[in-house]
Formats: sequence, structure tokens, C-alpha cells
Amino acid sequence: MGEISYVFNIQRYSLHDGPGIRTIIFLKGCPMRCRWCCNPESQERKPEIFYTESKCIGSEECGFCKNVCPEKAIDFKGKAVIDRKKCINCLKCEAVCPSKAVSVQGRQYTVDELLDIAEKDSIFYGNEGGLTVSGGEPLSHGDFLIQLLKEARKRRINTATETCGCGDYEVLYEAAKNLDYILFDIKSLNNEKHRKYTGCDNKVILNNFKRLCRDFPSLKKRVRTPVIPGFNDSTDDIKAVLDFIKDFPNVSYEPLKYHSFGRGKYSSLGREYELGDISLDENIFEEIKNIVKKAGF
Amino acid sequence: MSIKILSPQEKRIQNEINNKGEGSKHYNRAVDIVKEIRGKKPVIDIERGLYFTRSFKETEGQPLILRWAKALYNYAENASVYIDENQLIVGRSGKQGRYGILYPELDGNIFKEAVEKLPARENSPFDISDEDADIVVNEIAPYWVGKTFHESFAKSLTEETSKLTYNKDRELTSRYIVNETASFRSSLQWVHDYEIVLEKGFKGIKEEAEEKLASLDEYSPLDYTEKKPFLEALIITCDAIVLWANRHGDLAKQLAEKEENPKRKAELLKIAETCRYVPENPARTFYEAMQSQWFTQMFSRIEQKTGTIISNGRMDQYLYPFYKRDIEKGIITDDEVQELFECMWAAMAQFIDLYLSDTGGAFNEGYAHWEAVTIGGQTKEGLDAVNELTYILLKSKREFPLNYPDLAARIHTRSPKRYLYEVAETIKAGEGFPKLINDEDVIPLLLSKGASFEEAYDYSVSGCAECRMPNRDTYTSPNAYINFAAALEMVIYNGRMLKYGSELLGLETGNFEDFKTFDDLLSAFLKQQRYFIKHAFIQQREIIRLRAEHFASPLGSALHRLCRETYTDLHQPKIEGGIDLGYFEYMGFATVVDSLAAIKKLVFEEKKITLGQLKTALENNFKGYEAVRQLLVNAPSYGNDNPYTDSIGKLLDREAQEFTRKYGAELGVHMDLRLVPFTSHVPFGKVVSATPNGRFAYTPLSDGSSASQGADLNGPTAILLSNYATKNFNYNEHAGRLLNIKLSPACVQGDVGTEKLVRFIEAWRDLKLWHVQFNVLNTETLRQAQKHPEDYRNLLVRIAGYSAYFTELTKDLQDDIISRTEHEAV
Repeated sequence: MGEISYVFNIQRYSLHDGPGIRTIIFLKGCPMRCRWCCNPESQERKPEIFYTESKCIGSEECGFCKNVCPEKAIDFKGKAVIDRKKCINCLKCEAVCPSKAVSVQGRQYTVDELLDIAEKDSIFYGNEGGLTVSGGEPLSHGDFLIQLLKEARKRRINTATETCGCGDYEVLYEAAKNLDYILFDIKSLNNEKHRKYTGCDNKVILNNFKRLCRDFPSLKKRVRTPVIPGFNDSTDDIKAVLDFIKDFPNVSYEPLKYHSFGRGKYSSLGREYELGDISLDENIFEEIKNIVKKAGF
Repeated sequence: MSIKILSPQEKRIQNEINNKGEGSKHYNRAVDIVKEIRGKKPVIDIERGLYFTRSFKETEGQPLILRWAKALYNYAENASVYIDENQLIVGRSGKQGRYGILYPELDGNIFKEAVEKLPARENSPFDISDEDADIVVNEIAPYWVGKTFHESFAKSLTEETSKLTYNKDRELTSRYIVNETASFRSSLQWVHDYEIVLEKGFKGIKEEAEEKLASLDEYSPLDYTEKKPFLEALIITCDAIVLWANRHGDLAKQLAEKEENPKRKAELLKIAETCRYVPENPARTFYEAMQSQWFTQMFSRIEQKTGTIISNGRMDQYLYPFYKRDIEKGIITDDEVQELFECMWAAMAQFIDLYLSDTGGAFNEGYAHWEAVTIGGQTKEGLDAVNELTYILLKSKREFPLNYPDLAARIHTRSPKRYLYEVAETIKAGEGFPKLINDEDVIPLLLSKGASFEEAYDYSVSGCAECRMPNRDTYTSPNAYINFAAALEMVIYNGRMLKYGSELLGLETGNFEDFKTFDDLLSAFLKQQRYFIKHAFIQQREIIRLRAEHFASPLGSALHRLCRETYTDLHQPKIEGGIDLGYFEYMGFATVVDSLAAIKKLVFEEKKITLGQLKTALENNFKGYEAVRQLLVNAPSYGNDNPYTDSIGKLLDREAQEFTRKYGAELGVHMDLRLVPFTSHVPFGKVVSATPNGRFAYTPLSDGSSASQGADLNGPTAILLSNYATKNFNYNEHAGRLLNIKLSPACVQGDVGTEKLVRFIEAWRDLKLWHVQFNVLNTETLRQAQKHPEDYRNLLVRIAGYSAYFTELTKDLQDDIISRTEHEAV
């Protein structure tokens, strides 16, 4: 297939993003900028330098990156420090780093290459498991996504996608034709908050969801809401989501508990984690789980 | 003795003994029994060694099998017998508490030094009283000096083989290069035909022998010199075990007379009655069957040291008729059945697989033992074999607090759903047990070795991953463990190893720096590989010949149809009609594959380093060469479903099998390639300096067919696929392959987790892989990963929509995850 897109991760034996045992392909690039995003390396479309300080072995044993950097953006204070202002993303440091402390997030793949990888695990999929296309936002990869799902179907691979719902309905519609399962994030019904915390309007998301349910009533949909302190961590917020989805067919629901495990990735990308040290009240999350259960999900 | 590293099994038992033990979910007699041994140091019991020695002094010059039977009788007549508080299943071969026993015929020549060294060891893992130590040093050990198998075997070797085998010390310690294991155990993993004991009793076996004895041709020299002593030995052995059982009956009666608690008094009276009846007679009830089986396996432990201890066979099969009858009659309940099983497990947990030699101890660090209990699989007719007892055994595995027995679940394509789900649930609850053995791989292999369908369907798991067909398998000889990481070292240092200095050990395949192509280097390695296998085969020829002069097994022979029919002791080299399945062990498979792949990639393809630079880095154990080491560590490695490495693995596997195909016939047995290391990848690693996969000097090798520590970065499906891709299914010169898989708790959490585990197991089965055992990680593992990130590079944090490797997180995030794992699964 001619279509090419950037992928930042391929995770086999995934158990939490769709039914059965699955291979997840994480496409790079997302229209939203959720403050809590645990995969910040997924947001930009282009490849990025990702620096894991703990893996750096220092200038005494190595220091190769400093020597190849044309912009003199790398210095050593025991371990390498990258001056992101100077960095032009030429990726030369990555090529010489022996310990993979410097790595590149984002590599180009063709549809066929990805499906060959997905197919490797087909013996584990059974009837339920298969391929999940995630992101970033898959809908941002229109033709590539559609091609990928179509070809997966041809290879008899069960398909799922994970979306934030923010994208062209045309793409979603074409994708859904080739989907067995969809994971659809609805983060908040309060548009003001939604805009503030994600940088996007929720109207297009809610509309997309409605149209999807209308056009593909038999497609299995799982709505998920990341429960974020200060954003939507109240039973009212979640009730609003439940009210919105409750009359649509074939919809299940799952609240996802906030975690800050993505925090380290921000510094690896030379960015700030805006949310800082916050945590989710365990009791509130328990309450939320209870109302979800009560609502019959 | 090196007991620094505890096996997981041993860790758990210590934990239970010292702290918990009471955490059981239901009233548990077995837990009460286990409490008795809490906090007690294991002891060495000398009686087995002593009564064998005394008897052997009296019987010199007689046929060996007869001497063995008389020694057993001497033990049965004189050894102390014990009945533990609360126990229902009786019969110990040593003092109360945890104990190990002595087999001086193996390596009694080193007992004196070993025992004398004991007081000097601060953290001695076991006790021996001064009087007993005296007896060992002055009575037992002196008799055996010059007579042990160990010494005879060492003498039989040429210089060339010897230097790959032993150090030049008086104790003949192992070099861990081409390592023989016949000196510290007289049989490899083995399973008896317990069915015949339950059906006929030793009385039946004895009567058959007496009839045969009476009908021998009185003029035949063959009958006189071979058949007669064989039959007499069987008769004496049958008498011995019955005598031993009866003495337990007498003791139970005495105790009952003194017992004031009426409930226990009744139990003791029942024990007395049972021990007078079995194993002499056919068992009539489930209880008698259990007691009869236990006496048999305990007496078998007295007879000889079986590698990893004698296995239990298919308990859910041969006990089933007794269970069914008793349930129908209403004389036993499922809970009582489970209680009897757990009484047996509690007894099992007290027997320690004790080694006095460093080599033996190193093989089973932490006294690891595997007296496998097989469940499930197929019946002799090829139908699914799961029954009610299967489920009781699984339930017991979930509830019994210690890691005994070593439960092995046979899986096949028609295994019922409930069975697969209960197996998965048990793995989750039982810290990785049961291990799984795949009928779809094992049975075709056994058929190709000449077994009938009936025999192949009826195999038992034996030891950690071997499979035996009672009454058809006849090869008991322990085999060589070959350190192929050492073979690789000999390519680097031209036939030498850093550990052993300038001594030429292997072949001189030329200067490492001078290899011009990867193919040249690879063929040098294959030469060393063949050279090592050759010496393993030479060892084995001598072992087969000498064992027959040193060991006999009248009990084992009595419980083997072919031995009885041909009047041949089980340890003789050839038993008519038998199938001889031996093996040689491929140690450090992934270590070698990863090393070769790294050289191919970095030196010959990408030219990032030269062979000279690599050698310097290795000689310095990477000190000052961390950048080189990082390149090596990050090169392609086995276990990631990567054809780059897996094709090398497949080639090594095939080359090894080719050797067997060509030379196996000269040994008259199948000497097949196997990847099942016990805990020995640790001591074998201790002689191998730094390797080109970035492994530091003298650290453990990879184990079995598992990936190098932490190198499997693509998750468990990729590990299975790499395993699959390195097998040569068109060859049959192979045996078991052991595979350990670590799963994070999130992978198996809840019903969904169980379902996904079942799916994974089904895929493993369909890939026709031999064995798998799961290890569900806990917070302790995560803490280890914090401390030793190198070994845990593969640890993925699995949360919906998120992915990262644990060791790449910052310390505070790791701490977060650890605390989260304590409450929920990550």
C-alpha cells in the first residue's frame, strides 16, 4: 500500500484497549491538547527527539551525541542535557546514542508493514482479539486509517479503534464501515471546561457520536471518560455523560482513573507537565464507579 | 554448599513457615502439620546412609541388585519410624521437621570434608548432631572412599574429556563446562507405575516373582546368575516395604493406646489398620490408595536419589476408581479427599533434596524439587481425561499455602473449557502453578520415538518438564549439562576461558580478531559446539557402562513391567522392549544467540565496532566500555519474534540435533537436545566471563528456552513466537523445552484477565510448544526492578491507552506504581 503514516509505538499483547488480546498501533498526531495527556509524544505529527535521562551513560563513557550535534544543543552535566531551543530535530544524536537514551518518537510505516506486524500475533487473537488503531488521533490520519482498516479486514483481522471523536465525520464513517469495535472518549459535556482543558470544542465530538450511533447501530461502542481531578471528577460530570449515551444502542461505558504516569515523558520531550502534582480522590472514583454500575453499564 | 539463592518455591515455604501459614481459607489439618515445622532448621538424617553402609559391608561380592534389596531390608528393619501430630498419611524417611538424607554410594567420598566443613559455615542451612557427624565421618564415609560412582567415572575419562568436566581437586568439583550430573543422582527424573501397587499390592508382585523363581530352569547358568538374584531381590524388596509399613502400623497402635483425645485415637487406630493392610495388599479405599502410594514413593526415596525426587504420576487418573467407589458408597467427601491430598503435600514439603556436593547443590539451589503431580490430558484411549479429582487437585493448589506439590497440567485441543479456566484461575492464585505441558507437542514426539498411542496418551510429567511413559521408558541415566556460553567464550579466547586462565580447554579456532566474516565466526562456534557435544557423548558412554556396576533399583524394577518380564534391573544399559530417552542440556541458549546476533549486526553489518574492540571490552568486563556494552545490549535479541535472531537460534538447535542424528546410535539411546535448566543457569553463569550480548562476567546465563534476562521487549506473544520459530519440527532428536513467562498482575486481573490468559494458553498449545510456566509479578518484583533495571527492561506498565517500560520511569513514578500495585493491578 502506498499510504504512509507516522507511528510512535506498536504494542503487542495489549489487554486493556478492546476485547481479547490485541496489537495496538499508536499513530502520531492529535488535534487535542488534553492537559493530562499521558502520551504527549503522540500529539505532534512529526518525529521528535525523546530523551530518557536514566538511560544516559554520561560523557565519560560516551558523549557521542554532543560531538555530532550541529547546533551545539547538547551539553553534559553528568548526563546529557538537551537545549530544546537550539535543537532543530535533525535526529543525528539518536543515530549515535548506544544506550537509546536518545530515541526518536515517530517512524514511518506503510499499511502493509503495520499489518504484517499485526498479523504476527493472529494465533493469539481468537475470535475477539485483533488490531486496535490508537493515537494520537486516528481520525487525523484519514485515508491511511481507512486503508489500514480495510486491508485488515481483508486479512481477516478483527479491528478496533480508539478515538477522541474529534475529526471529520466522513473519515469516521468510512472507518466505521470496517470496524468491529470502537473505543470512543467522551470527556465532558460541559463545553466550556472541555475547551479549557483539551483545547477543543466538544460539539463536534458529541455530534460525531450521535451520527455514528445512528449510522452504525450494531457496531459495539465503548465510551470512556478519563476522570481528571479538577476537570470532571464529580458524579455530576459523569452522570451527564451517562445521560448523554444511555439511549444509544450497543454502548458500554468505562471511567478511567487519572494517573500521572505520563509525567516523565514531558521532560523527555523538553516540555512542562501542566497538571503538576495532583491526584484523584479514591472515594470519588469509587462513587463514580458505583453510579456507572447503577446506570446499568 | 551454595544455598545463597532461594528458589521461589523455597522462598515461599520459608515465608509460610516463618510468618504466615495460618492464612488458610478453611480449616486445614495440613496447616497444623506445617506449623509444627515452623522455625525449625532442616536436619540431616543419617539413617539411610548408615543402614545402607552397614548392609553393604556385609554383602560384598553378591549381585548388586541383591545387595540393594538387602540394604533396603536392613533399613526397613532398623530405621526409626515416626508418626507426625495430626497427620493422616504416614511414612517419613527421616527425623521430624524438615530433613534430607544421605546417599553415600553417589559421592560418599566427599562426605568427610563436607561434614567437617559444616560447623565453619555461619549460615549453615541445616543441622547435624555431633554424634551423627561422627558416624558420617568415621563409619559411613571411610567405607565408600574408592567405591563411589563419582570416583570410578572420573577415572574412566581421558584427559581431554576430564578437563571439560572436573577441576583437578580431590573432590572432583565441576568445571560447569561439560557437566555430568550422574554423580549426584542415581536416576534422572522418574515416575513409577503406581497403578500396579494399588491394584495388586506388593503381595501380588512378590507372588509373581515367587512363581517365576520356582519355575526357573535349574540347570541354566543364565537363570542362576541373572534371573534368580533379580527375583530374589524383588521378593526381599517387597518384604522390606511391607515390614516398614507394618512398623508404622505398630507405632500407630502404641500411640493410639496412649492417646487421650478420642478423635485422634480413632485416627491412629485407622492408621494402624491401614499400614498393616497396604501397600502389601491391593488398596480398597481412596485412603488406602493414598497411603499405599505414599509408602511407595517414600521407600523409593530410600532406595535411590532420583533427580528432583520421584514424581507422583497421574494422580487424578490412577486414584480415580478409588475416589469414585468411595463417593458412591458415601464413605468419603470431596473435602476429606482434599484433606488427604494436603496431608501428603505437607509431608512432601518436609523432605529436602539435600546435596552435600557443591555441584549437586548448585543444580538445585534452594533445594528446589519437583515431585510432579500430573493432571488432565488424555486417557489411554485418547479421550479427555479430566475428572472430579482433577478439580479437587486444582482447588487444593489454590488453597494449600505451600508450593507443594509441583502441579503439572496437561493441555490438549479438547481440554474442556472449565478445566482451562480453572487452570488459569489457579495460575493466578497459586503464584504460577500449575505449570503446563502440551499434549500436542509431547505425544507426537513420543510416537515418533516408537511408543504406541496408548503409551503416548498416558505419559506423566516427570521432574520439571520431562515426560515419561511408565512401563515403556527405560532410560534412567542422568545426562550432561553443556555450557554453550563457554563454547562461545572459547571462540573469543581461542579455546580458553578467562576463568580457567591459559589452560587449553576447547578447540583452537583461531584468533578472534581475525575472523573476516560472520559465517567464519559462526562456523568456529559450531565447531566448539560439536566438540562439547562430542565430549558429552563420551561421558555418557562411560556413564551408561559404569552405572550398571554401581547402582541397582530393585523397587524401581519391581514397578516396571519390562524389567519384570526381562529380569533386568532398571539401571542396566539395555532393557528389551524399552524406549531410551536421554538428553543433553543446552545451557545458555539465548545468551549465545543474542551474542552471535550482536556480533553479526554491530561488527559485520553496521561496522560500529571491531572484533578487537569487542574483545577488549569483554576482557575488561566492560569497565570503561559501557558504550560498547550498551550497543550490545540494544542489538537484536531472542524472544522478540525477530527473524534476525530466531534464525540463528534455529540453526544452533538444528546443528545440535544433527549431531544426535549422526552419533546417537553409537550410544544405543536417544541423546536428545533439551532446554530445561533447573536452577543451573546460575552456577553455569559463574564460570563464564562477559559475553557479547552485554552480559557481565559471572552473572547467570539465560534459562531454558526463555529470553535473556529482560531482553524480551515485545511482550509474551513475541516470546512464544520466537520459541516457535527456533524449533525444528522436522527433527525428532529433541526433548523438553522449558519456558518461563512473567506477567504483570494487570494481565490477569478479574474475569477478563482469566479469559485472556486462557486465550494465551490456547495459542501456546496451538503453537505446539512443550512447556510454559507463568510467574505473576508482584510489588517485590517491581522493587527488584527498581534496583536492577538491567534485568527488567522488559517490564511493561499496562494501563489502558498508555504504555511505557517500568525501568524508564523516574523513581517517584516507579514508587507510585508500586504503591498502586499493592491495591490494584498495573
